[in-house]
Amino acid sequence: MDNTRKSTKRLATAKELQQIVAGFYLEGHEAKRSGKPVGWMPPMNGLIEIFYAMDLQPAFPENWSPVCAAFGLIDRNYQAADSMGFSPDLCGYLRNCVGYINGMMGEEGVPLGGLPEPDMIFMPGAGCVPTMKNFQYIARRFPGAKVFKADLPQVPIEDIQRYHIDYALSEINRIVEFLTRVTGRKLDHGRLAEVVRLSDQACALWDEITSFRRCLPTPISAAEVGLMFVMVTRQGTQLAVDYLTRVRDEVKQRAEKGIGIIAKEKVRLFWDNIPLWYNLGLFNYFEKYGGVVVAETYSAAWSIRLDTANPLEALAMKSLQSYPMVSCVSMKRRKEMVLRACRDYHIDGVILHSNKSCLPITLGQMDIKRALQEELGVPSVVIEADHMDPANFSMAQFEARADAFIEVLLQRKGYRQ
Amino acid sequence: MTDSTGLTRSHIDLSPFAGAVSNRAERLARHAKKQQALGWFCTYTPIELIHAAGFLPVRIYGGTIRVELASSLVPNFVCPYMRTSLERALRGEYKYLSGVIQGYTCDTPCGMLSIWQENAGPGLFHTVPLPYNSGPAARTFYRHTLNELIDKLAGIGGQTDPASLERSLDLYAEIRRTLLRLYELRLRDIFVPPASGFYTILEAGFSLPPEEYLVLLTNLTGALGNIKAATPSGIPVLVSGSLVEQLWIFDLLEAAGGRVVADDLCNGYRYCQPADGSGADPMDRLIDRYIQRFPCPARSTVQERVPQVRALLEKSGARGAIFLFQKFCTPHLADYPALAAELKNAGIPVLLVEMDESGNIEGQLKTRFGAFFEMIGG
Ligand code: SF4
Ligand code: SF4
Repeated sequence: MDNTRKSTKRLATAKELQQIVAGFYLEGHEAKRSGKPVGWMPPMNGLIEIFYAMDLQPAFPENWSPVCAAFGLIDRNYQAADSMGFSPDLCGYLRNCVGYINGMMGEEGVPLGGLPEPDMIFMPGAGCVPTMKNFQYIARRFPGAKVFKADLPQVPIEDIQRYHIDYALSEINRIVEFLTRVTGRKLDHGRLAEVVRLSDQACALWDEITSFRRCLPTPISAAEVGLMFVMVTRQGTQLAVDYLTRVRDEVKQRAEKGIGIIAKEKVRLFWDNIPLWYNLGLFNYFEKYGGVVVAETYSAAWSIRLDTANPLEALAMKSLQSYPMVSCVSMKRRKEMVLRACRDYHIDGVILHSNKSCLPITLGQMDIKRALQEELGVPSVVIEADHMDPANFSMAQFEARADAFIEVLLQRKGYRQ
Repeated sequence: MTDSTGLTRSHIDLSPFAGAVSNRAERLARHAKKQQALGWFCTYTPIELIHAAGFLPVRIYGGTIRVELASSLVPNFVCPYMRTSLERALRGEYKYLSGVIQGYTCDTPCGMLSIWQENAGPGLFHTVPLPYNSGPAARTFYRHTLNELIDKLAGIGGQTDPASLERSLDLYAEIRRTLLRLYELRLRDIFVPPASGFYTILEAGFSLPPEEYLVLLTNLTGALGNIKAATPSGIPVLVSGSLVEQLWIFDLLEAAGGRVVADDLCNGYRYCQPADGSGADPMDRLIDRYIQRFPCPARSTVQERVPQVRALLEKSGARGAIFLFQKFCTPHLADYPALAAELKNAGIPVLLVEMDESGNIEGQLKTRFGAFFEMIGG
């Protein structure tokens, strides 16, 4: 059975996304040609805003992986990684990225032209180990690039103290000095304030868009998760704000007119953990039974508002919170977030994706499962899969579990006798 | 190993260490009635500080056990060490602990700590964030995280002052110096017990009160004073990896014709090196030691590790490297391709072994070790 399937999107604005993705990669290649410095960095931190404020070009190798999944490039990248000795037990982002940079990168005909070569590399000391290792291998592969070894406290959100913020701030200052030294560009604090304002505006729009998931029927589903691309790569730009405004308007209009994802929405679902990038079609799977995947965990990482009065501190806070929010670093917060989403969005059942490629997001899921049952009486089902490797996913097994689960939910709601 | 080491071995009695390991569960349960014990997983946990606050730091042991209860809480792609430890906790084997303190290293113990807290509590469960860099700002940050730990320990009755910290630092520094001396003596062929015996000595220290452990170590080094160098046989190798709890693996390795002369293991050299740090006050000294310590892939870069592992190989004269990984151990699996490539380029043969939860790898290991040593020896 085919393990890969594209999702069906319902928003007209979602069609613009292809343009935005292509535009981002094109911009990277143009930057390279024109001599604008390109920096490779992990997502979910304040670096992107500093880059846009200093008119530098960011690139996100991790985000390139879902693109590779969509274009069917992962097999070749995995083969390259395998031949270097990377275990198939490692996170698919890491395997895909090291395979790509040591394999097809630079070849003619790579979709979107691939990633532009880095002039600077940010090797993080927070987030998960696979991300840290990924950037260490990137630095090995591009010895000519300038490398910054970045530190950040790894601490649950509820335990953040002043000293954590101070350390994160001192690292941001070190980054600015590094960028100034390497690129000769200065950070204009007025410009930074503007970028942070745009960034916060994008978060506000993001929150607003996701808030329409409260509506019955929901005007937007997890099948539109691709929208996240704008948050990952364009946070802090007018482009993101403009695009998200159009999305918000469309979603709002659908909500006001009561237009749902499907004709009759019977069951509302929540997806925990990263989507299967090679099979986003799973988000549409339940529709034939009247089921809609209303929301997913991942989007919570982008709803962290920024204190625009204190731009640097806002970036420090964003960096401290984004990854813990969706991983096991801040289990308490994450559990609260899932439970709140289930309450707010009137969720009937939860799909827990036990993700072979991502231990940090998978650990603790069983405690979430218990809390869902005990505190909300919401049933859940565990689906074993992998967000990057189709070899670790069986469509047949998924169908068996999903069908049985939806049957229970339909019965609970009185749709079946 | 062959008889050529018999003379040396017959003078040395490792049974006190083996005894401490084999009766650890009952001993610790008894001990915890008079002194609170706190568990730890990883050698980045500042055990000196835990001890200075009046607690007995105990390394959590996973070992071989059928994982049943833990299977309903965590997926099967978690390293065996973490799965078997959780299983023991769920079965109540760690009831005597007053909590678990963890230095933030790899993602697995980070997530496991909250699972322990939810399912094997109550107690103090705390992760100490660690700096990734080593400059002054990183040290200041580290000091804050350690002060926070002191406060948390005070919350369960711990009392720390500079003098108590100084005493604990001295004690653990002496232990580590003695262990490093055993490493030296092993290199000079004076102390050449089977590797399983060597690592049992280390393991005993993970659960004994450090004061008692130091006495055992001192007795041992005293007995080694007059021993002449042996001519041990076996192809010298370095073992590198996560922690190895199944020490019988070393017996297989040696039976196949190898001899462990150096290690880069969590239950070996990475626990010992360096013995001490330096600084203006005890906190600085503690911070300095942990920042200078022999790096683990979870908390360092592959760039930093390659030269350090190569230096160990050169110093020890190892002719091969055997990587012993806990299955699914991301930090080690991720560093492996770079390390293996660099070592192979330097003409050092490498072998990778993954230790799974079942422990049923004996047959496979015999063959693989045999082929590896035959290749090097031939
Ligand atoms: S998917 Fe998970 S393990 Fe992989 S890089 Fe992201 S957070 Fe890390
Ligand atoms: S470093 Fe490896 S062995 Fe240690 S806890 Fe992490 S995954 Fe397990």
